[in-house]
Amino acid sequence: MKWVGVIGVVAVALLTWGFWWGEPAVKQPIEYPHKTHVEQLKLPCTGCHQRAEKDNVAGRPPTALCLACHAGGETKSEEVKKIRAFGEKGQEIPWKRVWRLPSHVFFSHRTHVAVANVKCQTCHGPMETLARPPARPLKTLAMNNCIGCHEQWERPNEKGAGVVKTGARHVSTDCNTCHH
Amino acid sequence: MALWGMVIDLDRCTGCQACVVACKAENNVPPVGAKEAVRGRIISWMQVLTEEDEEHDGEVKRFVPRPCLQCDDPPCTKVCPVYATYRNPEGIVAQIYARCIGCRFCMAACPYNAKYFNWHRYQKEAPGQNPDVSLRPKGVVEKCTFCHHRLQKARERALAERRELAPGEYVTACAEVCPARAIVFGDLSDPGSEVHRLARSPRAFRLLEALGTKPKVIYLSEGEGRG
Ligand code: SF4
Ligand code: SF4
Repeated sequence: MKWVGVIGVVAVALLTWGFWWGEPAVKQPIEYPHKTHVEQLKLPCTGCHQRAEKDNVAGRPPTALCLACHAGGETKSEEVKKIRAFGEKGQEIPWKRVWRLPSHVFFSHRTHVAVANVKCQTCHGPMETLARPPARPLKTLAMNNCIGCHEQWERPNEKGAGVVKTGARHVSTDCNTCHH
Repeated sequence: MALWGMVIDLDRCTGCQACVVACKAENNVPPVGAKEAVRGRIISWMQVLTEEDEEHDGEVKRFVPRPCLQCDDPPCTKVCPVYATYRNPEGIVAQIYARCIGCRFCMAACPYNAKYFNWHRYQKEAPGQNPDVSLRPKGVVEKCTFCHHRLQKARERALAERRELAPGEYVTACAEVCPARAIVFGDLSDPGSEVHRLARSPRAFRLLEALGTKPKVIYLSEGEGRG
């Protein structure tokens, strides 16, 4: 009898492994295809994530920005209709946050995007290949990912092997630069 | 490279404790509750100590605002087994919570009692907290950091505007709030700065100077005293 209990506990643990330990999936209000916008239309990431060059956070696009392109004309797309509905009600699209750094990390998008010219994909992965919104971050970032660039004053080449020099500016590896 | 320091003029300090309150608000310093308080577990990065007057019985002779003195030769960092507290290149004695294992060696080593231990997780994230300062988890040591998150922000701004950090762009919350202007903050290595000038005043002294900790919080003694 005892063994049945033990096996039962182990079986439940194994079956629910991913459920308890994995990060919960994020469902976005709009089935936004990065692929269409970035790969086919060649829009820059900062065209929609406009705060990335000006602020600590990259931000998610406001409804008005989507409607700047999607307001007029006939549409068959359910998703575009949803955006227009948000617009008519004067609401912002309730985008959900997917990427989250620990709260004790100071990270500025502005410095990395506008000053160091690090490509978004270096940290975020190949977002331009996604036909649907990602349920989870494409990459799991650890402190080593930050230190890797900061220590070598260079960053990984997003096309695969090799590194790109980020310039002669000294990049600090002092703990206090990022930890607060 | 800057060397951040602070001068506190005891002649000017009125003991109003505005610095204490400003520090708590700025750095999300948790209230520990009555039960913990009687156990001596109050956390207060900035504390106004009082000294009694021997000549005037029961009266306070002076108020001594005491943050972490940011020793230039800090005893606390030397005993940390995991490099969670260390002196950074600009002289700030840092405290990296994610690294701290809570052994409290550093608390024992600090001659000024400037470090505090989180016996519990005292607070959850809530509106009204400063988002620039992380909440400390249970089991780590915390202390005054010279509001170094303000330096992070000021430096980030300067970097984006492609210029050097201007003097006065980075000050601590206590120095900013002091109504008597008793606390002056700045770069000790800059000969043009006010802290540099005041630190050389004949009234300047350092707490427990004989220990050789070389505090970068420098006090100015009372000029006149009382008869
Ligand atoms: S309590 Fe934390 S910071 Fe202090 S010595 Fe131990 S590990 Fe280092
Ligand atoms: S005052 Fe104490 S905590 Fe602050 S640097 Fe000196 S020894 Fe360390």
